[in-house]
Amino acid sequence: MTLSLFNQFASPVLLGIPLIALAILLPWTLLPSPANRWLTNRLLSLQGSFIGGFTKQLVLPLNPGGHKWALLFTSLMVYLITINLLGLLPYTFTPTTQLSLNMGLAIPLWLATVIIGMRNQPTHSLAHFLPEGTPTLLIPVLVIIETISLFIRPLALGVRLTANLTAGHLLIHLIAMATNVLFPLMPSVAILTGTLLLLLTLLEIAVAMIQAYVFVLLLSLYLQENV
Amino acid sequence: MLSRLVFVSASALKSSGPLGAGLVQASRSLHTSSQSLAPVPPLPEKGGKVRHGIIPEELFQLLYPKTGVTGPYMLGTGLLVYLLSKEIYVINHETLVVASIGAIAVYGIKKFGPSVAAFADKLNEEKVAKAQEVKDLAMSSLTQAIEDEKKEQWRVEGRSVLFDAKRNNVAMLLETNYRERIHMVTNEVKRRLDYQIALQHLHRRMEQEHMVSWVEKNVVGSITPQQEKESIAKCITDLKALAKATQAKAAV
Repeated sequence: MTLSLFNQFASPVLLGIPLIALAILLPWTLLPSPANRWLTNRLLSLQGSFIGGFTKQLVLPLNPGGHKWALLFTSLMVYLITINLLGLLPYTFTPTTQLSLNMGLAIPLWLATVIIGMRNQPTHSLAHFLPEGTPTLLIPVLVIIETISLFIRPLALGVRLTANLTAGHLLIHLIAMATNVLFPLMPSVAILTGTLLLLLTLLEIAVAMIQAYVFVLLLSLYLQENV
Repeated sequence: MLSRLVFVSASALKSSGPLGAGLVQASRSLHTSSQSLAPVPPLPEKGGKVRHGIIPEELFQLLYPKTGVTGPYMLGTGLLVYLLSKEIYVINHETLVVASIGAIAVYGIKKFGPSVAAFADKLNEEKVAKAQEVKDLAMSSLTQAIEDEKKEQWRVEGRSVLFDAKRNNVAMLLETNYRERIHMVTNEVKRRLDYQIALQHLHRRMEQEHMVSWVEKNVVGSITPQQEKESIAKCITDLKALAKATQAKAAV
Protein backbone atom coordinates (compact mmCIF):
# COMPACT_ATOMS: atom_id res chain seq x y z
CA MET A 1 0.00 0.00 0.00
CA THR A 2 2.70 2.46 1.00
CA LEU A 3 4.75 1.52 -2.04
CA SER A 4 1.84 2.05 -4.40
CA LEU A 5 1.11 5.42 -2.83
CA PHE A 6 4.52 6.78 -3.73
CA ASN A 7 4.72 4.97 -7.04
CA GLN A 8 2.89 7.87 -8.69
CA PHE A 9 5.93 10.07 -8.08
CA ALA A 10 8.46 7.73 -9.67
CA SER A 11 9.80 9.20 -12.90
CA PRO A 12 8.12 7.10 -15.59
CA VAL A 13 10.37 5.08 -17.83
CA LEU A 14 9.12 2.94 -20.73
CA LEU A 15 11.53 0.36 -22.05
CA GLY A 16 14.40 2.45 -20.78
CA ILE A 17 13.16 5.67 -22.36
CA PRO A 18 12.51 8.39 -19.80
CA LEU A 19 8.99 9.61 -20.43
CA ILE A 20 9.49 12.71 -18.32
CA ALA A 21 10.67 14.47 -21.47
CA LEU A 22 7.21 13.92 -23.00
CA ALA A 23 5.55 15.07 -19.80
CA ILE A 24 7.62 18.26 -19.82
CA LEU A 25 6.90 18.95 -23.50
CA LEU A 26 3.16 18.37 -23.18
CA PRO A 27 2.12 21.97 -22.27
CA TRP A 28 3.70 23.31 -25.45
CA THR A 29 1.46 21.14 -27.62
CA LEU A 30 -1.67 22.05 -25.71
CA LEU A 31 -1.41 25.83 -25.92
CA PRO A 32 -2.37 27.38 -29.28
CA SER A 33 0.19 29.58 -30.97
CA PRO A 34 -0.98 32.96 -32.28
CA ALA A 35 -2.38 32.70 -35.82
CA ASN A 36 -1.76 35.16 -38.62
CA ARG A 37 -5.30 36.49 -38.32
CA TRP A 38 -6.69 39.64 -36.87
CA LEU A 39 -9.75 38.07 -35.22
CA THR A 40 -9.02 34.67 -33.69
CA ASN A 41 -11.07 31.96 -32.09
CA ARG A 42 -12.17 32.11 -28.45
CA LEU A 43 -9.35 30.04 -27.03
CA LEU A 44 -6.66 32.13 -28.64
CA SER A 45 -8.28 35.45 -27.64
CA LEU A 46 -8.63 34.24 -24.04
CA GLN A 47 -5.04 33.06 -23.97
CA GLY A 48 -3.88 36.35 -25.44
CA SER A 49 -5.84 38.42 -22.94
CA PHE A 50 -4.65 36.30 -20.01
CA ILE A 51 -1.01 36.47 -21.02
CA GLY A 52 -1.21 40.18 -21.74
CA GLY A 53 -2.93 40.97 -18.45
CA PHE A 54 -0.60 38.79 -16.44
CA THR A 55 2.56 40.21 -17.99
CA LYS A 56 1.41 43.77 -17.49
CA GLN A 57 0.56 43.15 -13.87
CA LEU A 58 3.80 41.30 -13.16
CA VAL A 59 6.15 43.73 -14.89
CA LEU A 60 4.50 46.89 -13.51
CA PRO A 61 6.64 47.20 -10.34
CA LEU A 62 9.87 46.36 -12.16
CA ASN A 63 12.05 49.13 -13.52
CA PRO A 64 13.07 48.96 -17.19
CA GLY A 65 16.11 46.76 -16.52
CA GLY A 66 13.78 44.05 -15.30
CA HIS A 67 11.52 44.19 -18.34
CA LYS A 68 13.89 41.84 -20.14
CA TRP A 69 12.66 39.10 -17.82
CA ALA A 70 9.00 39.52 -18.81
CA LEU A 71 9.04 36.74 -21.39
CA LEU A 72 10.81 34.36 -19.03
CA PHE A 73 8.39 35.01 -16.18
CA THR A 74 5.24 34.74 -18.26
CA SER A 75 6.29 31.59 -20.02
CA LEU A 76 7.38 30.05 -16.70
CA MET A 77 4.02 30.91 -15.18
CA VAL A 78 2.01 29.45 -18.06
CA TYR A 79 4.20 26.36 -18.04
CA LEU A 80 3.86 25.74 -14.32
CA ILE A 81 0.11 26.34 -14.30
CA THR A 82 -0.44 23.94 -17.17
CA ILE A 83 1.75 21.24 -15.67
CA ASN A 84 0.18 21.55 -12.24
CA LEU A 85 -3.39 21.49 -13.52
CA LEU A 86 -2.74 18.58 -15.85
CA GLY A 87 -1.28 16.65 -12.95
CA LEU A 88 -4.63 16.62 -11.23
CA LEU A 89 -6.03 14.30 -13.87
CA PRO A 90 -5.86 10.62 -12.93
CA TYR A 91 -2.99 8.44 -14.08
CA THR A 92 -0.89 11.47 -15.03
CA PHE A 93 2.61 12.24 -13.96
CA THR A 94 3.35 15.75 -12.69
CA PRO A 95 6.95 16.79 -13.38
CA THR A 96 6.78 19.50 -10.73
CA THR A 97 6.52 16.88 -8.00
CA GLN A 98 10.16 16.08 -8.69
CA LEU A 99 12.48 18.12 -6.50
CA SER A 100 15.10 17.95 -9.25
CA LEU A 101 12.92 19.88 -11.69
CA ASN A 102 11.91 22.56 -9.22
CA MET A 103 15.42 23.09 -7.93
CA GLY A 104 16.56 23.15 -11.55
CA LEU A 105 14.15 26.02 -12.12
CA ALA A 106 14.66 27.87 -8.85
CA ILE A 107 18.45 27.85 -8.32
CA PRO A 108 19.58 29.24 -11.70
CA LEU A 109 16.91 31.94 -11.74
CA TRP A 110 17.58 33.01 -8.16
CA LEU A 111 21.33 32.95 -8.74
CA ALA A 112 20.84 35.08 -11.86
CA THR A 113 19.05 37.76 -9.86
CA VAL A 114 21.76 37.75 -7.17
CA ILE A 115 24.59 37.95 -9.70
CA ILE A 116 22.86 40.77 -11.60
CA GLY A 117 22.46 42.65 -8.34
CA MET A 118 26.05 42.11 -7.25
CA ARG A 119 27.49 43.10 -10.62
CA ASN A 120 25.44 46.19 -11.41
CA GLN A 121 24.91 47.71 -7.98
CA PRO A 122 27.07 45.86 -5.42
CA THR A 123 26.62 48.37 -2.62
CA HIS A 124 22.86 48.36 -2.94
CA SER A 125 22.77 44.56 -3.02
CA LEU A 126 24.99 44.23 0.03
CA ALA A 127 22.85 46.82 1.79
CA HIS A 128 19.99 44.32 1.78
CA PHE A 129 21.82 42.36 4.42
CA LEU A 130 21.13 45.00 7.03
CA PRO A 131 17.55 46.26 7.41
CA GLU A 132 17.08 49.86 8.43
CA GLY A 133 16.82 50.84 12.03
CA THR A 134 18.50 47.91 13.71
CA PRO A 135 20.12 48.51 17.08
CA THR A 136 23.93 48.56 16.85
CA LEU A 137 24.46 45.52 19.06
CA LEU A 138 22.31 43.32 16.85
CA ILE A 139 24.14 44.14 13.59
CA PRO A 140 26.48 41.10 13.39
CA VAL A 141 23.73 38.68 14.29
CA LEU A 142 21.37 40.26 11.79
CA VAL A 143 23.91 40.14 8.97
CA ILE A 144 24.36 36.42 9.56
CA ILE A 145 20.62 35.91 9.67
CA GLU A 146 20.07 37.87 6.46
CA THR A 147 22.81 35.88 4.70
CA ILE A 148 21.19 32.64 5.74
CA SER A 149 17.83 33.92 4.56
CA LEU A 150 19.35 34.88 1.22
CA PHE A 151 20.80 31.43 0.64
CA ILE A 152 17.69 29.66 1.76
CA ARG A 153 15.61 31.40 -0.92
CA PRO A 154 16.21 28.95 -3.78
CA LEU A 155 15.73 26.01 -1.43
CA ALA A 156 12.46 27.51 -0.26
CA LEU A 157 11.28 28.19 -3.81
CA GLY A 158 11.95 24.68 -5.00
CA VAL A 159 10.81 22.83 -1.93
CA ARG A 160 7.65 24.92 -1.60
CA LEU A 161 6.45 23.93 -5.05
CA THR A 162 7.47 20.30 -4.65
CA ALA A 163 6.00 19.90 -1.19
CA ASN A 164 2.68 21.54 -2.01
CA LEU A 165 2.07 19.48 -5.09
CA THR A 166 3.33 16.23 -3.65
CA ALA A 167 1.29 16.67 -0.51
CA GLY A 168 -1.79 17.49 -2.51
CA HIS A 169 -1.45 14.46 -4.74
CA LEU A 170 -0.78 12.21 -1.80
CA LEU A 171 -3.81 13.50 0.07
CA ILE A 172 -6.03 12.98 -2.93
CA HIS A 173 -4.82 9.42 -3.29
CA LEU A 174 -5.16 8.67 0.39
CA ILE A 175 -8.68 9.98 0.67
CA ALA A 176 -9.70 8.26 -2.55
CA MET A 177 -8.32 5.02 -1.22
CA ALA A 178 -10.15 5.53 2.06
CA THR A 179 -13.43 6.11 0.25
CA ASN A 180 -12.80 3.04 -1.85
CA VAL A 181 -12.17 0.85 1.17
CA LEU A 182 -15.04 2.27 3.21
CA PHE A 183 -17.64 1.99 0.48
CA PRO A 184 -18.60 -1.70 0.99
CA LEU A 185 -18.28 -1.38 4.78
CA MET A 186 -19.94 1.92 5.77
CA PRO A 187 -21.44 3.68 2.75
CA SER A 188 -22.52 6.81 4.66
CA VAL A 189 -19.00 7.46 5.92
CA ALA A 190 -17.78 6.74 2.41
CA ILE A 191 -20.10 9.43 1.10
CA LEU A 192 -18.72 11.87 3.65
CA THR A 193 -15.20 10.98 2.60
CA GLY A 194 -16.29 11.39 -1.00
CA THR A 195 -17.45 14.91 -0.26
CA LEU A 196 -14.10 15.53 1.38
CA LEU A 197 -12.45 14.31 -1.78
CA LEU A 198 -14.50 16.77 -3.88
CA LEU A 199 -13.54 19.68 -1.65
CA LEU A 200 -9.94 18.60 -1.63
CA THR A 201 -9.90 18.45 -5.41
CA LEU A 202 -11.20 22.00 -5.53
CA LEU A 203 -8.46 23.02 -3.13
CA GLU A 204 -5.86 21.26 -5.20
CA ILE A 205 -6.93 23.10 -8.32
CA ALA A 206 -6.54 26.37 -6.45
CA VAL A 207 -3.22 25.31 -4.95
CA ALA A 208 -1.89 24.31 -8.36
CA MET A 209 -2.55 27.76 -9.77
CA ILE A 210 -1.49 29.64 -6.66
CA GLN A 211 1.80 27.79 -6.27
CA ALA A 212 2.77 28.53 -9.85
CA TYR A 213 1.89 32.18 -9.35
CA VAL A 214 3.80 32.38 -6.07
CA PHE A 215 6.90 30.87 -7.64
CA VAL A 216 6.95 33.46 -10.39
CA LEU A 217 5.95 36.29 -8.10
CA LEU A 218 8.77 35.61 -5.65
CA LEU A 219 11.27 35.47 -8.49
CA SER A 220 10.03 38.82 -9.75
CA LEU A 221 10.37 40.22 -6.22
CA TYR A 222 13.94 39.01 -6.00
CA LEU A 223 14.57 40.63 -9.35
CA GLN A 224 12.98 43.86 -8.19
CA GLU A 225 15.41 44.03 -5.30
CA ASN A 226 18.41 43.51 -7.46
CA VAL A 227 17.92 44.98 -10.89
CA MET B 1 -2.16 17.89 -29.95
CA LEU B 2 0.68 15.88 -31.30
CA SER B 3 -0.65 16.58 -34.77
CA ARG B 4 0.05 20.23 -34.04
CA LEU B 5 3.64 19.23 -33.29
CA VAL B 6 3.76 17.54 -36.68
CA PHE B 7 2.26 20.58 -38.43
CA VAL B 8 4.66 23.04 -36.88
CA SER B 9 7.72 20.95 -37.52
CA ALA B 10 6.54 20.16 -41.04
CA SER B 11 6.07 23.83 -41.89
CA ALA B 12 9.49 24.58 -40.41
CA LEU B 13 10.98 21.79 -42.49
CA LYS B 14 9.24 22.93 -45.68
CA SER B 15 10.71 26.39 -45.46
CA SER B 16 14.28 25.19 -44.93
CA GLY B 17 16.45 25.04 -48.05
CA PRO B 18 16.69 22.35 -50.73
CA LEU B 19 15.46 19.56 -48.50
CA GLY B 20 12.32 21.56 -47.87
CA ALA B 21 11.69 22.20 -51.58
CA GLY B 22 12.16 18.52 -52.42
CA LEU B 23 9.82 17.57 -49.60
CA VAL B 24 7.08 19.87 -50.90
CA GLN B 25 7.29 18.39 -54.41
CA ALA B 26 7.44 14.81 -53.22
CA SER B 27 4.44 15.12 -50.92
CA ARG B 28 2.27 17.05 -53.42
CA SER B 29 -0.21 14.20 -53.70
CA LEU B 30 -1.00 14.56 -50.02
CA HIS B 31 -1.71 18.30 -50.13
CA THR B 32 -5.30 19.12 -49.20
CA SER B 33 -5.36 22.94 -49.28
CA SER B 34 -4.07 25.40 -51.86
CA GLN B 35 -0.60 26.75 -51.28
CA SER B 36 -1.31 30.46 -51.17
CA LEU B 37 -1.57 32.25 -47.85
CA ALA B 38 -3.76 35.16 -48.88
CA PRO B 39 -6.62 35.81 -48.69
CA VAL B 40 -6.79 33.89 -45.43
CA PRO B 41 -9.87 31.64 -45.48
CA PRO B 42 -12.46 32.74 -42.94
CA LEU B 43 -12.78 30.91 -39.64
CA PRO B 44 -16.00 28.98 -39.08
CA GLU B 45 -18.44 30.83 -36.81
CA LYS B 46 -18.82 28.00 -34.32
CA GLY B 47 -16.68 25.02 -33.44
CA GLY B 48 -17.51 21.49 -34.50
CA LYS B 49 -20.81 20.18 -33.19
CA VAL B 50 -20.46 17.82 -30.23
CA ARG B 51 -22.91 15.74 -28.28
CA HIS B 52 -22.63 15.50 -24.50
CA GLY B 53 -19.71 17.87 -24.62
CA ILE B 54 -17.07 15.48 -25.94
CA ILE B 55 -18.31 13.12 -28.64
CA PRO B 56 -18.31 14.68 -32.12
CA GLU B 57 -21.58 14.67 -34.03
CA GLU B 58 -19.80 13.05 -36.98
CA LEU B 59 -19.67 9.71 -35.13
CA PHE B 60 -23.44 9.67 -34.79
CA GLN B 61 -23.87 10.60 -38.44
CA LEU B 62 -21.42 7.85 -39.40
CA LEU B 63 -23.31 5.13 -37.53
CA TYR B 64 -26.83 6.35 -38.31
CA PRO B 65 -27.37 4.50 -41.60
CA LYS B 66 -26.46 1.13 -40.15
CA THR B 67 -27.56 1.29 -36.53
CA GLY B 68 -30.06 4.14 -36.29
CA VAL B 69 -30.29 6.61 -33.44
CA THR B 70 -29.30 4.31 -30.57
CA GLY B 71 -26.28 2.88 -32.35
CA PRO B 72 -23.49 4.97 -30.80
CA TYR B 73 -25.03 4.66 -27.34
CA MET B 74 -25.11 0.89 -27.65
CA LEU B 75 -21.53 0.98 -28.83
CA GLY B 76 -20.49 3.08 -25.86
CA THR B 77 -22.32 0.96 -23.32
CA GLY B 78 -20.98 -2.27 -24.78
CA LEU B 79 -17.45 -0.93 -24.81
CA LEU B 80 -17.71 0.22 -21.22
CA VAL B 81 -19.15 -3.09 -20.03
CA TYR B 82 -16.47 -5.02 -21.90
CA LEU B 83 -13.69 -2.96 -20.36
CA LEU B 84 -15.13 -3.32 -16.87
CA SER B 85 -15.99 -6.99 -17.00
CA LYS B 86 -12.67 -8.06 -18.42
CA GLU B 87 -10.95 -5.79 -15.91
CA ILE B 88 -9.08 -4.07 -18.70
CA TYR B 89 -10.10 -0.91 -16.86
CA VAL B 90 -9.69 -1.63 -13.14
CA ILE B 91 -11.86 0.25 -10.68
CA ASN B 92 -9.63 1.56 -7.93
CA HIS B 93 -9.17 4.80 -6.04
CA GLU B 94 -8.24 6.56 -9.27
CA THR B 95 -11.78 6.02 -10.51
CA LEU B 96 -13.01 8.09 -7.62
CA VAL B 97 -10.47 10.76 -8.52
CA VAL B 98 -11.81 10.69 -12.10
CA ALA B 99 -15.34 10.99 -10.78
CA SER B 100 -14.56 13.95 -8.54
CA ILE B 101 -12.52 15.84 -11.11
CA GLY B 102 -15.10 15.05 -13.79
CA ALA B 103 -17.89 16.35 -11.61
CA ILE B 104 -16.00 19.55 -10.87
CA ALA B 105 -15.10 20.01 -14.54
CA VAL B 106 -18.67 19.48 -15.75
CA TYR B 107 -20.06 21.80 -13.08
CA GLY B 108 -17.47 24.47 -13.86
CA ILE B 109 -18.04 24.33 -17.61
CA LYS B 110 -21.81 24.39 -17.27
CA LYS B 111 -21.74 27.31 -14.85
CA PHE B 112 -18.94 29.48 -16.22
CA GLY B 113 -18.84 28.35 -19.84
CA PRO B 114 -21.27 30.87 -21.33
CA SER B 115 -19.82 33.83 -19.46
CA VAL B 116 -16.26 32.98 -20.46
CA ALA B 117 -17.37 32.52 -24.07
CA ALA B 118 -19.13 35.88 -23.92
CA PHE B 119 -15.98 37.47 -22.54
CA ALA B 120 -13.88 36.00 -25.35
CA ASP B 121 -16.42 37.21 -27.92
CA LYS B 122 -16.42 40.62 -26.28
CA LEU B 123 -12.62 40.84 -26.70
CA ASN B 124 -12.99 40.28 -30.43
CA GLU B 125 -15.93 42.64 -30.68
CA GLU B 126 -14.00 45.37 -28.93
CA LYS B 127 -11.19 44.99 -31.46
CA VAL B 128 -13.67 45.25 -34.32
CA ALA B 129 -15.47 48.15 -32.66
CA LYS B 130 -12.25 50.10 -32.29
CA ALA B 131 -11.37 49.67 -35.93
CA GLN B 132 -14.95 50.43 -36.93
CA GLU B 133 -14.84 53.59 -34.87
CA VAL B 134 -11.71 54.74 -36.65
CA LYS B 135 -13.34 53.99 -39.98
CA ASP B 136 -16.56 55.78 -39.03
CA LEU B 137 -14.66 58.78 -37.77
CA ALA B 138 -12.68 58.96 -40.99
CA MET B 139 -15.86 58.66 -43.06
CA SER B 140 -17.72 61.31 -41.09
CA SER B 141 -14.77 63.70 -41.24
CA LEU B 142 -14.50 63.13 -44.98
CA THR B 143 -18.24 63.77 -45.57
CA GLN B 144 -17.93 66.86 -43.42
CA ALA B 145 -14.98 67.97 -45.57
CA ILE B 146 -17.07 67.39 -48.71
CA GLU B 147 -19.90 69.50 -47.35
CA ASP B 148 -17.51 72.24 -46.32
CA GLU B 149 -16.01 72.24 -49.79
CA LYS B 150 -19.46 72.50 -51.38
CA LYS B 151 -20.27 75.41 -49.11
CA GLU B 152 -17.06 77.11 -50.08
CA GLN B 153 -17.91 76.67 -53.76
CA TRP B 154 -21.33 78.24 -53.19
CA ARG B 155 -19.65 81.07 -51.39
CA VAL B 156 -17.34 81.64 -54.30
CA GLU B 157 -20.38 82.11 -56.56
CA GLY B 158 -21.59 84.90 -54.34
CA ARG B 159 -18.28 86.59 -54.50
CA SER B 160 -19.14 88.81 -57.50
CA VAL B 161 -22.23 90.09 -55.68
CA LEU B 162 -20.02 90.89 -52.74
CA PHE B 163 -17.58 92.74 -54.92
CA ASP B 164 -20.40 94.77 -56.54
CA ALA B 165 -21.70 95.73 -53.16
CA LYS B 166 -18.25 96.72 -52.05
CA ARG B 167 -17.74 98.70 -55.21
CA ASN B 168 -21.04 100.52 -54.63
CA ASN B 169 -20.02 101.26 -51.09
CA VAL B 170 -16.75 102.71 -52.19
CA ALA B 171 -18.41 104.79 -54.90
CA MET B 172 -20.90 106.13 -52.38
CA LEU B 173 -18.14 107.03 -50.02
CA LEU B 174 -16.26 108.81 -52.74
CA GLU B 175 -19.41 110.66 -53.83
CA THR B 176 -20.19 111.74 -50.29
CA ASN B 177 -16.67 112.90 -49.79
CA TYR B 178 -16.75 114.85 -53.03
CA ARG B 179 -20.02 116.53 -52.11
CA GLU B 180 -18.75 117.47 -48.72
CA ARG B 181 -15.70 119.04 -50.15
CA ILE B 182 -17.74 120.97 -52.74
CA HIS B 183 -19.91 122.34 -49.96
CA MET B 184 -16.91 123.32 -47.99
CA VAL B 185 -15.43 125.11 -50.95
CA THR B 186 -18.71 126.92 -51.64
CA ASN B 187 -18.98 128.01 -48.06
CA GLU B 188 -15.53 129.30 -47.95
CA VAL B 189 -15.91 131.25 -51.17
CA LYS B 190 -19.19 132.70 -49.94
CA ARG B 191 -17.57 133.77 -46.73
CA ARG B 192 -14.82 135.51 -48.53
CA LEU B 193 -17.26 137.30 -50.82
CA ASP B 194 -19.47 138.30 -47.89
CA TYR B 195 -16.49 139.71 -46.25
CA GLN B 196 -15.73 141.83 -49.24
CA ILE B 197 -19.35 143.02 -49.44
CA ALA B 198 -19.39 143.92 -45.79
CA LEU B 199 -16.17 145.75 -46.25
CA GLN B 200 -17.59 147.78 -49.10
CA HIS B 201 -20.78 148.59 -47.17
CA LEU B 202 -18.67 149.74 -44.34
CA HIS B 203 -16.64 151.92 -46.62
CA ARG B 204 -19.71 153.49 -48.15
CA ARG B 205 -21.38 154.11 -44.83
CA MET B 206 -18.30 155.61 -43.42
CA GLU B 207 -17.97 157.82 -46.45
CA GLN B 208 -21.61 158.87 -46.15
CA GLU B 209 -21.38 159.68 -42.52
CA HIS B 210 -18.18 161.49 -42.98
CA MET B 211 -19.72 163.53 -45.82
CA VAL B 212 -22.86 164.33 -43.83
CA SER B 213 -20.91 165.41 -40.83
CA TRP B 214 -18.65 167.53 -43.01
CA VAL B 215 -21.66 169.19 -44.67
CA GLU B 216 -23.25 169.82 -41.30
CA LYS B 217 -20.08 171.18 -39.92
CA ASN B 218 -19.72 173.45 -42.87
CA VAL B 219 -23.30 174.61 -42.77
CA VAL B 220 -23.20 175.21 -39.07
CA GLY B 221 -19.97 177.01 -39.50
CA SER B 222 -21.26 179.12 -42.30
CA ILE B 223 -24.07 180.53 -40.28
CA THR B 224 -22.82 184.14 -39.39
CA PRO B 225 -24.12 185.80 -36.23
CA GLN B 226 -25.99 188.37 -38.46
CA GLN B 227 -27.83 185.66 -40.22
CA GLU B 228 -28.56 184.07 -36.92
CA LYS B 229 -30.15 187.16 -35.48
CA GLU B 230 -32.15 187.72 -38.64
CA SER B 231 -33.42 184.22 -38.65
CA ILE B 232 -34.34 184.38 -34.96
CA ALA B 233 -36.20 187.74 -35.47
CA LYS B 234 -37.98 186.23 -38.43
CA CYS B 235 -38.93 183.23 -36.39
CA ILE B 236 -40.32 185.46 -33.65
CA THR B 237 -42.45 187.54 -36.07
CA ASP B 238 -43.62 184.32 -37.72
CA LEU B 239 -44.56 182.94 -34.37
CA LYS B 240 -46.40 186.09 -33.41
CA ALA B 241 -48.36 186.08 -36.64
CA LEU B 242 -49.12 182.42 -36.18
CA ALA B 243 -50.28 183.09 -32.65
CA LYS B 244 -52.54 185.76 -33.80
CA ALA B 245 -54.00 183.59 -36.46
CA THR B 246 -54.55 180.79 -34.00
CA GLN B 247 -56.21 183.09 -31.50
CA ALA B 248 -58.47 184.41 -34.22
CA LYS B 249 -59.32 180.85 -35.22
CA ALA B 250 -60.07 179.92 -31.64
CA ALA B 251 -62.34 182.97 -31.17
CA VAL B 252 -64.25 182.10 -34.20
